[in-house]
Amino acid sequence: MILTGIVMALLWGCIIAYAVLGGADFGGGVWSLLASGPTAARQQRLIEHAIGPVWEANSVWLIYLVVGLLTAFPLVAYTLAVALFVPFTLALLGIVLRGAAFAFETHITGSVNLRQAWGHTFSTASTITPFLLGAGAAAVASGQIHYRNGAVQADRFTPWLMPFALVMGAVALSLCATLAAVYLTVEASHQKDHEMAEVFRLRALIAGAVTAGFGLLGLLLAPGEAPIIWHGLGHQALPVVIITMLLGLGTAFALYLRRYLLARGLVIAMTAGLLSAWGLAQMPYIVPPDLTLSNSASSPAMLGAFLGSAIVGMAFLLPSLWFLFRVFKGNQPTPAVRGRDLEES
Amino acid sequence: MSHLFSARAQMGTSLAFHIIFSVLGVGLPVLLCVAEGLALRYKDPHWMRLARQWSKAFAIVFAIGAVSGVIVEFEIALLWPSFARFIGGVAGLPFAMEGFAFFLEGIFLGLYLYGWNRLSPRAHWLCSFPLWISGGASAWFIMTANSWMNSPAGFTLKNGVITNVRPFAAIANPATPYETTHMILGCYVAVGFAVAAVYAFAWLRGQRTAYNRKGLLLGLAMASIAIPLQVVSGDPNARFLETSQPAKYAAMEGLLHSGRGQPLYILGIPDQKTGQVYLAIQIPHGESLLAHFNLNSYSKGLDQIPKADQPNAIVVHLTFDLMVFCGFFLLLAALLFWWFFLRGNRTLPDKRWLLWGLVACGPLGFLAIESGWMVTEEGRQPWVIYGIMRVSDAATPSPWVNVSFAIFSLVYVVLGATLVLLLLRLARNPLPERTWEEYFVTTPAPQAAISPDKMQEATE
Repeated sequence: MILTGIVMALLWGCIIAYAVLGGADFGGGVWSLLASGPTAARQQRLIEHAIGPVWEANSVWLIYLVVGLLTAFPLVAYTLAVALFVPFTLALLGIVLRGAAFAFETHITGSVNLRQAWGHTFSTASTITPFLLGAGAAAVASGQIHYRNGAVQADRFTPWLMPFALVMGAVALSLCATLAAVYLTVEASHQKDHEMAEVFRLRALIAGAVTAGFGLLGLLLAPGEAPIIWHGLGHQALPVVIITMLLGLGTAFALYLRRYLLARGLVIAMTAGLLSAWGLAQMPYIVPPDLTLSNSASSPAMLGAFLGSAIVGMAFLLPSLWFLFRVFKGNQPTPAVRGRDLEES
Repeated sequence: MSHLFSARAQMGTSLAFHIIFSVLGVGLPVLLCVAEGLALRYKDPHWMRLARQWSKAFAIVFAIGAVSGVIVEFEIALLWPSFARFIGGVAGLPFAMEGFAFFLEGIFLGLYLYGWNRLSPRAHWLCSFPLWISGGASAWFIMTANSWMNSPAGFTLKNGVITNVRPFAAIANPATPYETTHMILGCYVAVGFAVAAVYAFAWLRGQRTAYNRKGLLLGLAMASIAIPLQVVSGDPNARFLETSQPAKYAAMEGLLHSGRGQPLYILGIPDQKTGQVYLAIQIPHGESLLAHFNLNSYSKGLDQIPKADQPNAIVVHLTFDLMVFCGFFLLLAALLFWWFFLRGNRTLPDKRWLLWGLVACGPLGFLAIESGWMVTEEGRQPWVIYGIMRVSDAATPSPWVNVSFAIFSLVYVVLGATLVLLLLRLARNPLPERTWEEYFVTTPAPQAAISPDKMQEATE
């Protein structure tokens, strides 16, 4: 049971990492779509520059979440694949199109039309996908996906299209936009571009307020449409809920003071808090009301092997990530011994 | 279109698309590593230019590989939920391990692509090692999962309940050594010939530069080391299949009837309805000789397999022959090239037919991969987990699979077309030629603080 809990915590960590890293990439696409005013082109350039070529690395968290679920909780993967076939297929389409579109947009030289077409694809797909993922998560939380007598029983549309799910889709979307806008204030101020920093400060504040608004609306709908979650939020998850709300207010305050680095730390903590509150609130269920940690987990042998492989994998991954950050983020970067190459990149 | 057919068609299209990029992701880093190593060793600007040109192509290819890999992974669960549930609980581990290998490849690709001016030359070169190691490891993990589908191991099935799961025994299933070797070698063969084909084509168009010569030679060198090993590794593969998966083996060889002294059928149409093999070139006693070194040895045919458990022999036999043909064509092309090359004092042979042959090897290497993969997948039919779960029992109950098949097919067409366009543009506008010194001149560059930073910001 302890082993199951640890593995679940690991996978929940992947959800948080994907929200914090991949979510901001989606948010970048949203702001690219909403870029307006005389500085629209500059905004898009900053976004493109910030998303950079590592969306692949950011999307690994999602990949790992899927394989982890398959390996450690195969029954959950089965149930969700059957019950949420439509929204997940659509979200997959979005993930694929935005990833490919971003790669193409970055590498296309010459044809302006082609570049623009892929640019639009990128920003549209970035907007639709987090909405669908949020609605899917709400469908899981709603308790309307049943697994009984060896079969999945769920309506094909209601769980992810009812008001609660739509509101949570909006929360996911606006949260992604908030994350991206906060990160972009840091990027802009790093580049000493104070005008851009102001642009995204305002956007971060607005998006944050929208997120909070939808979040409260979700809480109002929860007692009727997601009773299990609602009960959990008021009990075992209550401290985390309160902390999350305080972190949200703190983020807004830090933005107001133009303390961008602090705001970035707070918004990441808030996102982690939000997702942790959800997880805690539906403990011990993974897919309420039928699938729990204990009745859907793989054999202990598989869980142990999975955890072991994760530890070995981390032993390779963490030093590599550290090296990546040191090279590109270190305070004293290695001097450009190959200055000429800059013309190429 | 039937429900099952749509699901199979969508999965098949996705894999056929993804496999091209996975293969490139395994093979190209080896070439990058060798080219950059040679560049540093001999202070040779041509090798350096090749490494940089290839890294640009690799950036695009890797991105599409990552995207198409996400599709495949989701589709395993979305299209085949029952299968996903079964394999996840028994043989899910290699998928999880592959996640890490892929992550590492992504990280070091970032370092490699954006680190030219941030890392010392030697450190930059060293970054190419984790690239090809994790590329190979990814292929190995995924192939163990595929091997498990062919020879499931590491669990006990009692009254439909899985017990006694042994994750590492599942990875080390009987087919693993055969499939992993054959696939990874196949990656090096296909990528080596594909790269050589590009420069052979340039050579044919009169661009007889040292740069094109080196590109051709390096690609062909990797392919030429791998292709004889690959042809040889095919033999134990087939022998293993004869006992491990007799239905697949019989279908590959077009053997409809069991018996002694079986002929070797080359091409032809093995018709399971009439029990006849039409239009084949027959080598009497050939199969018996090849399989058991005995002209009159006994081989099992498809007639020993219940009708409901037989794969489509026509598809399996013809794709098998296609793979074998491609393999031998590549082997012959490599042999002829090196023969003329060494006889001609290490100058590229000035024979148009030979160079055109090398150009043909580019697509043929990938055709061999695709057809070999068809053999193993079609040959396992009607099973998704051999002897345990049928494909028809694994498919999703959701309707609209034909709609998603249509949409994803369209996506592949658009992605493929754009990618080809981009790669062609890249090939037509290669990086400018430079001297060795020019690659390493230290110039105060104003953007230095900004442009390589692209990496970090999105990772935050």
